[in-house]
Amino acid sequence: MSGDPILDEWYPVALVSQLGPLGRDTRLLGQPIRVYWGTDHQPQVSDANGRALPVTCRYGHVWTCPGTPSRPLFDIPEADQPGRRLVDVGVVRVKCSPLRAVENFLDIAHFPFVHTDILGAEPHTEVGRYDVQIRDEVDEVWATKVQFYQPQAAKSAAGGITTEYMYRVPAPTVAVLYKTCPPRPGEWDVITLFVQPLEQDLCEVWPWMALFDDTTSLTDLIHFQQTIFVQDRSILENQLPRLLPLDPGMEIPTRADMTSIAYRRWLKRRGYSFGAQLVAA
Amino acid sequence: MATEQFLIAGELRADSFLPWIERHIRRLGLHGAASWRADGQVEIILSGPPDLIDAMELGVSLGPIDVWVETVGRRPLANTETA
Amino acid sequence: MTAAWTPVALARDLPRLGVMPVCVDGIDVALWRSASGRLAAWADRCPHRGMRLSHGFVRGEALSCIYHGWSYGASGSCLRIPAHPDLEPPEAIRVPVHRATENNGVIWVALGDQDNTPPALTGLVPLRSVTVQARAEVIRSASGLAIGADGIARGHLASIAVAVLMQALPEGATVLHVLAEPADPAALIAASRAVEALRRAAESKGAA
Repeated sequence: MSGDPILDEWYPVALVSQLGPLGRDTRLLGQPIRVYWGTDHQPQVSDANGRALPVTCRYGHVWTCPGTPSRPLFDIPEADQPGRRLVDVGVVRVKCSPLRAVENFLDIAHFPFVHTDILGAEPHTEVGRYDVQIRDEVDEVWATKVQFYQPQAAKSAAGGITTEYMYRVPAPTVAVLYKTCPPRPGEWDVITLFVQPLEQDLCEVWPWMALFDDTTSLTDLIHFQQTIFVQDRSILENQLPRLLPLDPGMEIPTRADMTSIAYRRWLKRRGYSFGAQLVAA
Repeated sequence: MATEQFLIAGELRADSFLPWIERHIRRLGLHGAASWRADGQVEIILSGPPDLIDAMELGVSLGPIDVWVETVGRRPLANTETA
Repeated sequence: MTAAWTPVALARDLPRLGVMPVCVDGIDVALWRSASGRLAAWADRCPHRGMRLSHGFVRGEALSCIYHGWSYGASGSCLRIPAHPDLEPPEAIRVPVHRATENNGVIWVALGDQDNTPPALTGLVPLRSVTVQARAEVIRSASGLAIGADGIARGHLASIAVAVLMQALPEGATVLHVLAEPADPAALIAASRAVEALRRAAESKGAA
């Protein structure tokens, strides 16, 4: 019964497939925790005092909650859809606020400059109008009808195409991307960013994917996603201030930043401040 | 150039809000002013390029930390300026 | 404040189209040089979303942020927002600009409005820059160099006349920008080695 909006969320703390017999000593929200295999052969998590924390295993990862979960772990229905490949990408440590990692994942305008010739390329830099809402019935942020020119949408694609995206924030440190899937018109590939907040300015990022792709090797899929994220890391570790401002008074958000602003509004309304900066600086 | 009226509703009581709005107007190079209305809403009259008026709506929708903006209603005003 | 000019780099270490981060009185500055050779020192932060401009790229006479490509011209004002290509950015969107100048092969930056000019270093050529994990006073006492009326440490290293300009970094480190009298290559290499020896001496003294 913590009632603290920060403590009562679910956080990713390990990959089930990579949790070794010795377990994993790590941190969550500035506190040490331990992830390990219990006697019932299920992953368990305990805090510094040895107290057992709630655990859910889903989407390849071990999730825990240091307080009392305010709701069950969010649902990604596509994870159970037959025919998808579920890809555990691994972990990347980033010296940035966990909230900045999520915000960056929601951003398309940086594709031509940060992921040049992969996810975007000049002169195709314009961000068209798209829809963003905080969906009260599920308490999530959604951005839909996001379109962007992509020079190489898939390995098989000869030229560029306009790709459609949807973004979803179902928990403060989780972002889910739905992307049109060239081999399966009408379906969406799902790429997620699960962020483990170690400290206010340090996080570990666990990308995960549920794709319709029977041809690309697992190594290539993982390598592709890691390449993208290493490019993002060079941004995330060099933004000022280190924490995510919940007051945009020292920034100049434009319509292309609508998802970022909706995410920050949603954090502000929930009173979620771990990794956030309340006053503009 | 466009001229618009914004009507802002929410939990706006803080004294910091109007100065914050006017600072943000200047940061965007827009022309305009903000004032309290009798019903507790804040009214902004703005003119400038449409993309920057959109940017103003976005900035004000987040606003300073002691304010919660629920909605920003926008209405185009007749453009009397022809220069 | 008379010593308001800070030496930040040797001019040859910042080529055309180059951009680098430097620190002036604890303030982060993006130092860059345009295609035509014009030098600029700006606040190292894009007004859009706070990315360091020193990670950006130079095209022609403009510096662009690496994050979303917002580009800024000579006066610091925004020229282009790629996500909104039809928008002509207002004058109000701009990066704070500092003063930068170059003389005798050294780049200097001043945060305030300076009427004066950086100290003259005539007759000397740039030797090298080196970062030392020690404060300026420790380096001065380790070097045996005398401080002149212009605040610059002068003396001899490996029998070559030198001037050592010191740039304080946060957390007690110092960058030395060393100039030397013109000499043959072997003598300059010896002086360069002496700078390295000075660095080691100052760091061990500082650690003691």
